[in-house]
Amino acid sequence: MAKYIAKRILLAIVSIWIITMITFIAMNAIPGGPFNKEKATSEAVIATLEARYNLDKPLGEQYVLYMKNVLHGDWGISLHSGRPIWNDMISKFSVSAKLGGRAAILAIIVGIILGSIAALTRNKLPDRLIIFFTTLGTAMPSFVLATLLLLVFCLKLGWFQVYSASNPNYTLPVIALSVYPMAYITRLTKTSMLDALNQDYIRTARAKGVSKIKVIFVHALRNALIPVITYVGPMVAYILTGSMVVENIFTIGGLGSTFVTSITNQDYSTIMAVTIFLAILMVIANLITDIIYKLVDPRIKLD
Amino acid sequence: MKKKIIAALLVASMATGLLACGNNASGDTSTGSSDAATTTTAEATTVDTDTTTLRICLASEPDYLDPALNSSVDGACLAVNSFVGLYTYDENNNLVPALSDGEPEVSEDGLHYTIKLIESKWSNGEELTANDFVYSWNRAVAEETAADYSYMFAPIATNEDGTLKVEATDDYTLEVELNAPCAYFYDLLAFPTFMPVYQPAVEEANPDGTNPGAWAQEAGFVSNGAFTLESWTHNESMVYTKNPNFYRADEVKLEKLEFMLSADDTAIYAAYNNGDLDFDDQHIPSDEIEALANNPEFHVIDTLGTYYVGFNVNSDLFDGLTADQASKMRQALSLLIDRQWIVDTVEPTEKTPADTFIPDGMVDGNGEVFEAADFGYYDATTTGAGNVEEAVKLLEECGYSFTDNGDGTYAISPALEVTYLTNPSSTHEGVAQCIQQDWSAVGISVKVETEDWNVFLEDRKAGKFDIAREGWIADFNDPINMLEMWISNGGNNDMQLGNDPSNTAAPDWTKYDELINEIYAETDYAKRAELMHEAEDMLMSTYAVVPVYYYNHIYLQKSNVTGVYATTNNNIYFMYATKTAE
Repeated sequence: MAKYIAKRILLAIVSIWIITMITFIAMNAIPGGPFNKEKATSEAVIATLEARYNLDKPLGEQYVLYMKNVLHGDWGISLHSGRPIWNDMISKFSVSAKLGGRAAILAIIVGIILGSIAALTRNKLPDRLIIFFTTLGTAMPSFVLATLLLLVFCLKLGWFQVYSASNPNYTLPVIALSVYPMAYITRLTKTSMLDALNQDYIRTARAKGVSKIKVIFVHALRNALIPVITYVGPMVAYILTGSMVVENIFTIGGLGSTFVTSITNQDYSTIMAVTIFLAILMVIANLITDIIYKLVDPRIKLD
Repeated sequence: MKKKIIAALLVASMATGLLACGNNASGDTSTGSSDAATTTTAEATTVDTDTTTLRICLASEPDYLDPALNSSVDGACLAVNSFVGLYTYDENNNLVPALSDGEPEVSEDGLHYTIKLIESKWSNGEELTANDFVYSWNRAVAEETAADYSYMFAPIATNEDGTLKVEATDDYTLEVELNAPCAYFYDLLAFPTFMPVYQPAVEEANPDGTNPGAWAQEAGFVSNGAFTLESWTHNESMVYTKNPNFYRADEVKLEKLEFMLSADDTAIYAAYNNGDLDFDDQHIPSDEIEALANNPEFHVIDTLGTYYVGFNVNSDLFDGLTADQASKMRQALSLLIDRQWIVDTVEPTEKTPADTFIPDGMVDGNGEVFEAADFGYYDATTTGAGNVEEAVKLLEECGYSFTDNGDGTYAISPALEVTYLTNPSSTHEGVAQCIQQDWSAVGISVKVETEDWNVFLEDRKAGKFDIAREGWIADFNDPINMLEMWISNGGNNDMQLGNDPSNTAAPDWTKYDELINEIYAETDYAKRAELMHEAEDMLMSTYAVVPVYYYNHIYLQKSNVTGVYATTNNNIYFMYATKTAE
């Protein structure tokens, strides 16, 4: 196990390094520049800014300098606001993670419950209702869902404020973020649960007189969870990093919109930092997923 | 059946238990969330009776709160409410002394200003003196500060080392030396770039000189305006509280300004309608605007700015033509644009079709309005389909021939296809489509091309286009701001006027450059106004700049709020507002 994890970490470092290279090349290939303004800035000002951010150096040198700084823990300052990137990224990530964490937990718990109910009541009313929900949940884009939530719960019912500086509320954005993965997990759980329930070992267990409840708890669900775990790992990483659509509609200062605006602003240092950060997060999520596999199903060999 | 449901519920509780094990911490915060939900629900149903807090949305997160480094309109609004300079605007849009103790003493030649300061304090209680202005202005022009608006200091004379000829002769006297008399000097004194910053804080936050804006990147920095920034949740909100050391603090009735940091029209408009905002600056979904026309909460005010179509005078569209012919070709295209249709259909906010480049209402630096009320280079309300014959005649002079289609439209020979460049936006693309339609009347086909903002700006500046959408909102109320941009090789001369003297299809621009220099040097403001008219005439005669409409400024303000006012360069002053109970 330790050997396996070491190997994976080594591989992860290589892939993150490749990602930084690709991102660096791609962002520099985008036409336009970070200091373009509608009211033109003087050439002297642009020259000072370019020198300040090393943009006057050849690309190769810029990359080496950047990576050297990052490895020394210096993530630089934003080309757009001059704010230190690391602090900014961490404070925004903490917001996204708080939101995404709740959404992920909600999605997993409700998803597994609904999926199990659907499997156990196959072709009956609860199952039909759940299928209806999952179809809707996977088909509806998040901006439609978020706007709909805003309309119904804020404007029509008046349960929440659309916006509050002093008392922001996460209920609606958490719901908006969780519906899609929730629907997806429901479907996965249902399918694999049905699969598991039809297995010989379940029948054997039942024939041996093990109670139905124990069979479902101990034997069926545990095996049914493996495909769910495969999905949940990357999903959690994805959801923790925020969604621009949901953040914009509910005015949440998360990482999702920062990432997108940094690209449109061509804020090179922020693009690099956020990309590396997301890549690391993704790698960790995948590693944890693999370890959980092993815990859930001892037959799986990690090496 | 019953058994199955019980089983399902048990599975559910087990799954919950399973996950709870690994997520204790998050589980706790989750509970916190539902608590918060209950409290907010209770609050949302009550009417907002907090008359001490004004809740506003201007735009999304500002880049800089440092008044010297800011170059955005929303940033300028934040600056005027948290800093104050020597001059300011009153509620009637008049320039009035702020930290200046009455009107400055001006030498006879108009080059030397002696500005007496009133006694005032920084928000931390320290005295604010004339030296603060000397420091702040020199800092704003210093190369290492790299301020976008450093060129605004151009009227002030400089020493050999590049510093400004600005001196504090005592704590409350500032002596300023100008290069030439400046008709808009008080406008500049009220401009955010000219506001003072607190030297010890600026220098402490930027010891190595690589991050000049560092001192104002988080809440709690020292300022001298009506409000100071108390908290800043990035991309969510900013809360400003009243500064008791503000020089007119007794006139500030509000205790707090809360800013929603968003640019999402749907969310902002919903927040306003839900009573979560008192003021919504410009963020109104365009399909909602028409319905708001008679709503007393909806305000439309003039802005000194012009939306126009720009022609690249070096475009190969004009290859082989003389400069005169090229101007005629552009004139024909200008005559064909149905400006009234554009303001009626694409732009729902009662904009005025433009017949001059200098916007209506701008003053001439000599106490008069620059454009006489009935003056126009053409009748902007009738351009369009009615001018097809005239346009055809002009284009014929440029070597094109036409065949009448019999339905009021013409086919052109040789075929002419032009590209119209814009950035993606329903409004800009809507204008482009109107123009496409208008020009098709003489057989010209228009390809509308959209480019992302950054690329669009770069290509426009580099002259990599034939025709592009353009707009300019004046920084201050003087025509020079909209005329000096057209000097040869000027940074905002997107139309490339004078940039390639060897191009015979482009107008000879040496005279224009001379004119602008004459305007800079002219000491007689009446003569100066005349010269500016001459410059505008010359610019307009090229038809490289084709005005479409004048900008305006829309906002929503709750009926219980009064006393908010905006200037013609879109700076909004919230500090003297009052909010009554609903």
